[in-house]
Amino acid sequence: MTDVHTPREQAAAKGEETSPFRITGTGPDESGTGAGTGQSGWLRWGWRQLTSMRTALVLLFLLALGSVPGSVLPQQGADPGAVQQYFASHPSLAPWLNHLGLFNVFAAPWFAAIYLLLFTSLVGCVVPRTFKLAGSARTPPPRAPRNLSRLPHSASYPSPLAPGAAVDAAAAMLGGQRFRLRRPASGDTGHWVSAEKGYLREVGNLLFHLALLGVLVSIALGGLFGYKADKLLVEGQGFSNTLGALDEFHPGRLVSGSDLAPFSLTLNRFSASYLTSGESRGQPSDFNASVSYSPSPGAPARTYNIRINDPLSVDSTKVYLIGHGYAPVFRVTDAHGNVAYSEATPFIPANTGTFLSDGVVKAPDASLGFMGVFVPTAVSVGGTLESAFPAADFPAVSLIGYSGNLGLNSGASQSVYQLNTAGMTKISGSPHLMLPGQTWALPGGRGAITFVGVKQWVSLAITYDPGQVPALVCGILALGGLLLSFLIRRRRVFVRAVPATSGGGSVVTVGGLARTDASGGFEEEFAELAAELAAGAGAAQPKPEPNNQSETGA
Amino acid sequence: MFRAKRRTVVTSAAVAAVLLAGALVVTLTQGSGQASGVTYVDGDNSQQVYAAGHRALAPDFTGTSLTGTPIRLASYRGKVVVLNFWGSWCGPCRAEGPTLAVLSQQYGSKGVSFLGDDVGDTNANALAFTHDVGISYPSVSDNSYSIVQDFSRVASVGYTPTTVVIDRTGHIAGLVIGTVSVQAMTTILNDVAAN
Repeated sequence: MTDVHTPREQAAAKGEETSPFRITGTGPDESGTGAGTGQSGWLRWGWRQLTSMRTALVLLFLLALGSVPGSVLPQQGADPGAVQQYFASHPSLAPWLNHLGLFNVFAAPWFAAIYLLLFTSLVGCVVPRTFKLAGSARTPPPRAPRNLSRLPHSASYPSPLAPGAAVDAAAAMLGGQRFRLRRPASGDTGHWVSAEKGYLREVGNLLFHLALLGVLVSIALGGLFGYKADKLLVEGQGFSNTLGALDEFHPGRLVSGSDLAPFSLTLNRFSASYLTSGESRGQPSDFNASVSYSPSPGAPARTYNIRINDPLSVDSTKVYLIGHGYAPVFRVTDAHGNVAYSEATPFIPANTGTFLSDGVVKAPDASLGFMGVFVPTAVSVGGTLESAFPAADFPAVSLIGYSGNLGLNSGASQSVYQLNTAGMTKISGSPHLMLPGQTWALPGGRGAITFVGVKQWVSLAITYDPGQVPALVCGILALGGLLLSFLIRRRRVFVRAVPATSGGGSVVTVGGLARTDASGGFEEEFAELAAELAAGAGAAQPKPEPNNQSETGA
Repeated sequence: MFRAKRRTVVTSAAVAAVLLAGALVVTLTQGSGQASGVTYVDGDNSQQVYAAGHRALAPDFTGTSLTGTPIRLASYRGKVVVLNFWGSWCGPCRAEGPTLAVLSQQYGSKGVSFLGDDVGDTNANALAFTHDVGISYPSVSDNSYSIVQDFSRVASVGYTPTTVVIDRTGHIAGLVIGTVSVQAMTTILNDVAAN
């Protein structure tokens, strides 16, 4: 018996694993690995700091913290209108928030800095860990320590077999339980076997880290190659998925206009159902946008019903239904009776419960403009026009007319929902109420406006996110890896046999060691294992060895 | 003590990471809330000219004019074509209308044809404008932007207005993104007409 324990093996046998998430010292001199002095030392120290678990956690926390304003404050990318409103209502605070990039959090440099540092930190952690795992997967368990009774768990039993045969039997049993085995080399004396199990724990740990990296990469993919766009479409209207046709377009950093999926889509009909009785009367019960689309120019048209949470998927691009409203149809004639405007005009709901909506009609070629209120179910509340129900049961519009220069021909861009009345004069004192089919002949022979009828519009969100599926897969893998690393423990079992002092046979000692902190329950497993080993040798129940060590770890 | 601490730390990190990843995925993939704002993207008044041999073939199209007559781009082969993408709802388009009306008269006698592509519009609105400004050349009705989509695959066509100059062989010789000026169009047209 000439077992020689190297300090390293002993350290390994005691279960002191070196974590890639190192707990670091406070300076380069304390790094403990003989880091050089000066610049390289500091670099090394910095790298250790960056790849330490503490830093990764701080970065994760900062990332979570940074996302908070992204969901609390209106974001330029998601809703520029809301950002403008915020500026209007918080004139002193908003510019400061804007300086900090809080209206565009996910594109802000500081957010990117956290993101990239976290990425680097994870890479710096995972890469060494991969090598370590690959190494440990090839390394056999260490030699059995000389005195197994010093291990946290140990037991011994007499065996009728000779020491060699007793260890052989134990090895066969352990091998059958899928332990990885190590036997003495040919020159060694002594009879022992080392067995180790639970390598999947490291695999799970690694999987978790890799999957976390994968989530970050997926999000980056979406940010670089994905895009988001909005399009408002009135019944009967169509559009082709091209830059010019989109109302809002938020491309990823590497997206150009020609990268858009070349589909076209027409809204045939939109229907919304509302509850007509009960407490939640007026609440929507169903939305359905019936569309026909063709995946590429010239391809045959198909039909689809887009509903809430049931987007149209075309060419890996998703088309979601995100809003709807009414578009009263108007026809405006000029002073000579020529048609100057004939169009379904989207009005924006001011009250999403009753769909009382605001809008404007611009007929620059008749020098006429109108500001209007549309109500789907008109009622008079104390002389004021109100809507009683969101469905178009008794639609009406109330218009205020203006004549003069709308300012459109100056070349400046205008919102289609706002009328610039600076160069215009009000036609009538009070709003003019109209029902479908009615015409308002404007005083002074300025022309006329007809409320032809009502159509509905939908607001569609067109999104392409190549990172969505990978992010989901990586999220699931991360969870799986985490479970593996928590549920599986790395443990070692050693068996030594020496000839019995009297008679034939041998005395077999079994030692056990849980290598990882997730060691709860190993005591029972060890006891069962020892019992099985003893039973395999035809011995009675093993008796626990007096244990010298009461606790492991520091 | 230290081990227990580390385990707690690992657990909380993992939970935080998964929650965070989920939150990020949700935040970055969800649609925005409301349609809002201006319904077109402004051009940036830039101008591009392509040398002969480096010109993309203009995609052919057939369509119907605002007054109902059929229009086919290929039938203009052999002539220089100025194709203006516009809409009566678009301020910059309305501003450049008179310029195009004048240019179309000046260059009409020099074998240059003008053609409009009216996007996101109704025929009634568009005709009211062309009548108002005195544009006599035809426009193809392209309410759904399908011709724009075809052109966007080969050139920087997307903004409204954009004006494309097509040479006699049907290739895109140059374009102006945003409001055209007489000077910019003269430069491109003289260059194309000379070759």
